[in-house]
Amino acid sequence: MIWPNLLSVVVPMYNEVGNVRPVVEAVRLALEPEGPWELIVVDDGSTDGTREELERAAGDDDRIRAIILPRNRGQTAALRTGLREARGDAVVTMDGDLQNDPADIPRLVRTLYEGFDLVTGFREERKDPMITRRIPSVVANRIIRWITGVSIRDNGCSLKAYRRELVDRLYLYADFHRFIPALAVSTAGARVTEVPVRHHARRSGRSKYGLSRTWKVVSDLLVLTMIRSFRERPLVPYVSAALLTFALAAAFGVRSALTAIEMGQLSMVFPTVTALLTGLAAYLVMLGLLAEAAVFHARERMPATSYLLRPAGAPEGPGERSQ
Amino acid sequence: MKPTGTRALNGEAAGSGQSREGAEPTARHKPAISVLVPVSERPSALEWIYAEYSAPLRQESLTFEFIFIVEPKFQELTLPLEELRKEGEPIQVLQTSHPIGDTGLIRAGAERANHSILLTLPPYPRIEPDRLPALLAPVLEGKPMAVARRWPRRDSWLNRLQNRVFHLLLTSVGSGGQIKDVACGVRAIHREVFDVLPFYGDFHRFLPLLALRAGFEVVEVEAAQHPGDRQPRIYGPGVYLRRVLDVLGLYFLMRFTDKPLRFFGLVGSGGILLGGAILVVLAVQRIGGQAIADRPLLLLGTLLVILGVQAIALGLVGEVIVHVNAPARERSRDRSTAQEPERVGYPPLDPDSDWKP
Repeated sequence: MIWPNLLSVVVPMYNEVGNVRPVVEAVRLALEPEGPWELIVVDDGSTDGTREELERAAGDDDRIRAIILPRNRGQTAALRTGLREARGDAVVTMDGDLQNDPADIPRLVRTLYEGFDLVTGFREERKDPMITRRIPSVVANRIIRWITGVSIRDNGCSLKAYRRELVDRLYLYADFHRFIPALAVSTAGARVTEVPVRHHARRSGRSKYGLSRTWKVVSDLLVLTMIRSFRERPLVPYVSAALLTFALAAAFGVRSALTAIEMGQLSMVFPTVTALLTGLAAYLVMLGLLAEAAVFHARERMPATSYLLRPAGAPEGPGERSQ
Repeated sequence: MKPTGTRALNGEAAGSGQSREGAEPTARHKPAISVLVPVSERPSALEWIYAEYSAPLRQESLTFEFIFIVEPKFQELTLPLEELRKEGEPIQVLQTSHPIGDTGLIRAGAERANHSILLTLPPYPRIEPDRLPALLAPVLEGKPMAVARRWPRRDSWLNRLQNRVFHLLLTSVGSGGQIKDVACGVRAIHREVFDVLPFYGDFHRFLPLLALRAGFEVVEVEAAQHPGDRQPRIYGPGVYLRRVLDVLGLYFLMRFTDKPLRFFGLVGSGGILLGGAILVVLAVQRIGGQAIADRPLLLLGTLLVILGVQAIALGLVGEVIVHVNAPARERSRDRSTAQEPERVGYPPLDPDSDWKP
């Protein structure tokens, strides 16, 4: 039976007073027969008495701990706090609303030790409203898969299992909790897979999501594509774009020169377009240099390697990898 | 606060002599206070400020020091302070070589401060001095920051109007709702908290908002306005313009520093969509047989697309900078003990464990 020396379960909660006890019970029920575990709940500035419930739960069981953020900081910040608190060799994150089923955790962990750094849940039968949640989610996941090149069908599922080595190399900020698999692959070279998990309708409390996130997701996706290429050479995408622009400028220039020879007089508009596009090309090269400089300076302060190295050959179990 | 092994701050209040099970901080370990007075505009007699505002601190038998940081044009005001200092009063007087503004003055004072709680006071009376202990109380108990709200307000209508407009502006850009008197300037803050806030430029005015954004709890304490704060204040137009720019800058920084593309991308896609629409119309006309080579509309369309591409490309550089600095930012957050959230249900420390909460 493969089990980490300690499994940390991290659960961010925001105004989930009715879910504290069920979550604790479900986690205990699922993990008790498996091996050593701890539960870390991050209370993201709740105002509904979640905190008191957590104090009670933590008082009852040594393995349960809570971190109370003084103000609401958002899901990424809460998740980051929880991941930094986790002490286990493997870390599982999940939602605080019991839409994920803790009974799936053991399967996630076992898959993790088949040779992956990150295992994410894949909700086969979602129990969410069709129009506002499921259709946008399918479309978004298609686009994310296409853009990031990471073939995960369900980026939105919070139920995930991480190896310690990945947690230590994963830096979450802004709203990147939505794109953890893509981020893990492009910044840490993680091996990622997904396993089907159960999904329940909300039992208690209110959903904190809606359609309003579309623009944020689009913008973040653009950033992710950028991250994929700029990690090493930000100059490359910028210079490519500059070359493309310059080709366009050249086309306009040749065209206006031909017209000038033909007609014997120069029109104003085409040469101006040529000049504008040439300017844009130069501007893009300069921006690329700036980005390159930013990466160069940060590299000095970054960890020596951001890649997860592993011995070639057989998949490893817990503790087989040297730090 | 329920004593369940909680810990709010690592300052003297919580750190020394407090067991893990959360004994109340004892009186003899009350943290000491450094009072910072930046002197850059319309100062009152500074020795009077010292006498007025040190009295309540003394009454509460708090340990304190006053640090006056003075711009060159007010040098002569420091003479009585020097006298007091020679008599043994806990006063430091710092002079700058040139005008550096309130933010710089406060930062210079904080560098020289000896104590773990900073209290900023304007060089003129703002609130009734007897409210200082009430303002300090939450911070002494471990809250990161407390600010005074001038209430009840005995102000002239002109000042009230200005204040109202300032807050309207703040609320309209989506901040300041939680703090009712941002401009007051009488604030108590823990040193560690102060040290991690992005305190530069003209942002001293928005210190409570910066603290809120960084995730700290800010307590607002009502304190009666001092009668001396009443006289109407009128500034030059440049001052008002700078205020508006301050608020706009703050809006951008609070909303978009972590995700610059959300802003630049919005501007950029607007330009691309509009310019693209123009170009499509022109293309259709060209296919229809019209000449477009000398249509200025072609220039407008191209220009809009180009500006759009530039905005997005710029936003992406911003994202690169944010992204590559994420590890460094997280490490600096780890270092700041002040920002530690409360922990509940932690096991007693095992001396052999290398794990530290």
